[in-house]
Formats: sequence, structure tokens, C-alpha cells
Amino acid sequence: MTARTDAPLYRADIYSAAAIRDTHPHYAALRALGPVVWLSKQKVHALPRYAECKAVLLDDETFISGGGVALNPLANRVGRGTTLFSDGEDHARRRRQVAHRLTPKALRAMAAAVEEQAAEVVEAAVAGRNVDGVELATALPMSVVPDFIGWPQDGREHLLRWAGAAFDGLGPANRQAVRSLPSSLGMMRYARRVVRDRSVLDGSMGHDLQCAADEGRVMPDECAKLMIDYLAPSLDTTISAISSALHLFATHPEQWRLLKADPSLIPNAVNEVVRYESPIRAFSRTVARDTELAGTTLPAGSRVLVVYGSANRDPLEWDDPDTFDIRRDASRQLGFGQGTHGCAGQGLARMETSAMLRALVARVDRIESTGTPEWALNNLIHRYERLPLALIPA
Amino acid sequence: MQISVDHARCEGHGLCADQAPEVFSLDDDAELTYHFDGADVPDEHRSAARVAVNVCPVAALRVLP
Repeated sequence: MTARTDAPLYRADIYSAAAIRDTHPHYAALRALGPVVWLSKQKVHALPRYAECKAVLLDDETFISGGGVALNPLANRVGRGTTLFSDGEDHARRRRQVAHRLTPKALRAMAAAVEEQAAEVVEAAVAGRNVDGVELATALPMSVVPDFIGWPQDGREHLLRWAGAAFDGLGPANRQAVRSLPSSLGMMRYARRVVRDRSVLDGSMGHDLQCAADEGRVMPDECAKLMIDYLAPSLDTTISAISSALHLFATHPEQWRLLKADPSLIPNAVNEVVRYESPIRAFSRTVARDTELAGTTLPAGSRVLVVYGSANRDPLEWDDPDTFDIRRDASRQLGFGQGTHGCAGQGLARMETSAMLRALVARVDRIESTGTPEWALNNLIHRYERLPLALIPA
Repeated sequence: MQISVDHARCEGHGLCADQAPEVFSLDDDAELTYHFDGADVPDEHRSAARVAVNVCPVAALRVLP
């Protein structure tokens, strides 16, 4: 397909290991080129600015997900039947099965338990003083999410690796994506077995899905896919937000002091962290019919890349976008997406991240960086792999 | 300014009620109430209402032309 238009061209590979480790300069270069930029390596139009990203997310009839939101044809085929890769009534029906369990009101029953677990996690970390911030950030999601989805104990040790691989596989068909394939397939096999053996935990979200399949509201083979649909995005993303928060507050002590002085800033601090270091780099959409976007005519069948991480640093939308400031109104950030595919689990993610910050604010005087952090190599997930920190007790 | 609420799309995330509590509220069942249904949003609440429409994570709110 000759999808290329006269949009400005960007030759560097934003999915190279170097670009994954140091991603913001690439986004700045893309934004400077224009609102629609042709990535010669991936052969898609990237949308690096806020306005076009938002417009595309809100126009789900022109920019569809049913052709997949990945950047390689294999993942776009394998992912068929998931909520993430569907449109219109199919999407609404799949989302209806579980989204009601994920709203802030529905989650209220869990709040006390999540706060308590966050307090335990932080107390243990403070006692050890020197910690890996990524390990600290992983503890709460790993103790909350698998129970919530209802995975049996057996096999849980693989969940984090599988979930990371599922995201890696949504990038271009580079070495990373190929390496992730066995793990993605392993997760699919496991989910199918859990559904077949009916081993999901009673009263969990997975149990709801199993019941929906029994009653014919979803097809039996949709069931496993929907469970993965909600597992894969619920671990790395939240771990990213919590670990980025730790790093940002370690490197911006004045912001940490503000947060300690006024913990009511925590909900907005979560938005600002997700704006500043958006956990998901980018998803794609298929252009359903010839359309014009910011002066560029996009042909039907071509693909656009919604670069959340770049939109959230767009100076046309944000004052001083490269400044981390928990007092700015960051509520319109696009890190959770927006519109019909907006993150269904954002209530849970916000609850976990806020609980960790509340537990830290109450017990930690300051967070100090004790070594050079390393970014994880993943096509889709923007998160630290290693984050050496010292937690100085209050 | 009038706002339309797509109740089928609303999932009760409640971000609108955080931004504009005078305009939107959620009851205990996470059902959204829009306080100015069929009427104009009063001037003093307009800017908050616009922000609320803007932050709805599932785009269930729309400002009518």
C-alpha cells in the first residue's frame, strides 16, 4: 500500500534500543517537524502533538482499532477478539462484561485493603533503607491485580514477564517483539487452561467472565482473551507510574516537600507523573476512510500512531511541558488514552499509585537517588528496569 | 451552553464530578446525575463544566453546539 503522503519525514527509529532508553528527544524532534510525521522505518504516520492525538482518540469511527493497534501484522492478527482490538458494538459488549468492576465506586470496597498493603510494602522498604525503586513499585500491583482478575496461585510467577512480553509484541516486528513471542503465547495457553479448568478465583473479575461465557454473553474462546486483555495492561503500566513517581520525587525534592506539606495534591500528582513519563508510549489506529488531519490527507487503510508520551509533553498544549510540577492541572493528560478505548482500569491504577504515595508521604522524610537508573527495554512500556534509591525515614 | 450525557457510555469514573461538583454528581450506584439536563449551564459553572467534559476518560460528555 502506498500510504506515504507529503508529510515530513523522520528517519530515526523510535523503537531502537537507544531511542527506548532516551525517548523524549525523539518526541521533541517529531513535534518540531509537524502535526503528522511519516516514520520511514515503520511506514506509518506518527501524531506527536496533543491536539491530533486527542482528535483521533475521540473519533473512533474514522480511526478504528479492529485492524489492531500494534505495529506488526502478526500481533494485529493474534490480538483479534480482544477489547483493545475491537470497535463499535463488539467493543461495547466486551467492555461491558467487566468495566463496571473497575470504576472508582466499584473499587471503593477494596480501598482499605489496598491502603493497608501499601503501608506494609513501604514499611518493609523503609526498614531496608536502600531499595530498588522498581521492586518497591512492583510489590503493590502484584499483590492486588492477580487476585482481582482471579488467576489461580499456580502460574502467577510468570504473570509479570508475560504481561511485559504482551506489550513488547505490540511494537514493530523488531528483535524485541520477536523475542517476546514465546512469552505471549505462553500467557495465552495459560489463560485458556484457566478458563477450561474453571480455576479462576470465586468472586473475581475472571469469574464474571466465566459466568458471561456460561450464559452465552461472550463466546467461550473470547473468555481467555478478555482475561489477558485486562491482565496485560494492569501490571507494567502501574509499576511504571509508581517507579517514575519515586524517581521524580527523588530528583525534585522541592516537589516532594510540597506533597508532604499537602497530601491532597496526591491525585493531581498521579496525573502529573502519568503526563510527564507516560507509561504507554504509543498505540496505532487504522484509518477507516480517506480523511484529512491537520492538513494531511490520510488514505483509507493506512495506519496512524498516537504517541501518548509525546502528546503529554507538547508545548502547544502545556506550559513548560518538561517541568515536573504537581501543582499544574494535569487532568487532561492522555496517558490513559481517552474516549471509547480510554483505560478501563484507570480507577484501580490511580488507587494503587495514590495509596503508595500516601504511604510514602507518611513514613519517608526524603527519597534519595543512589545510582544511575536504567530504563527497561520494551517497545510499548516506558518504565524503569532498575532504580537505586534510599528512603530516609521520617 | 448545554451538555449531552451519553449514559450508555458512562462508566462512573467520576472525574467530571471532581472537576465540576456543582454540575455533575455520582450516587452510590455510580449513576451520573447531570444537574442541568435540558437547561443551560449557569455562567458561573461554565468553565468548570468545560473542564469536566474535557477530562471524561470515555468521552461520554459533549458540549452541544
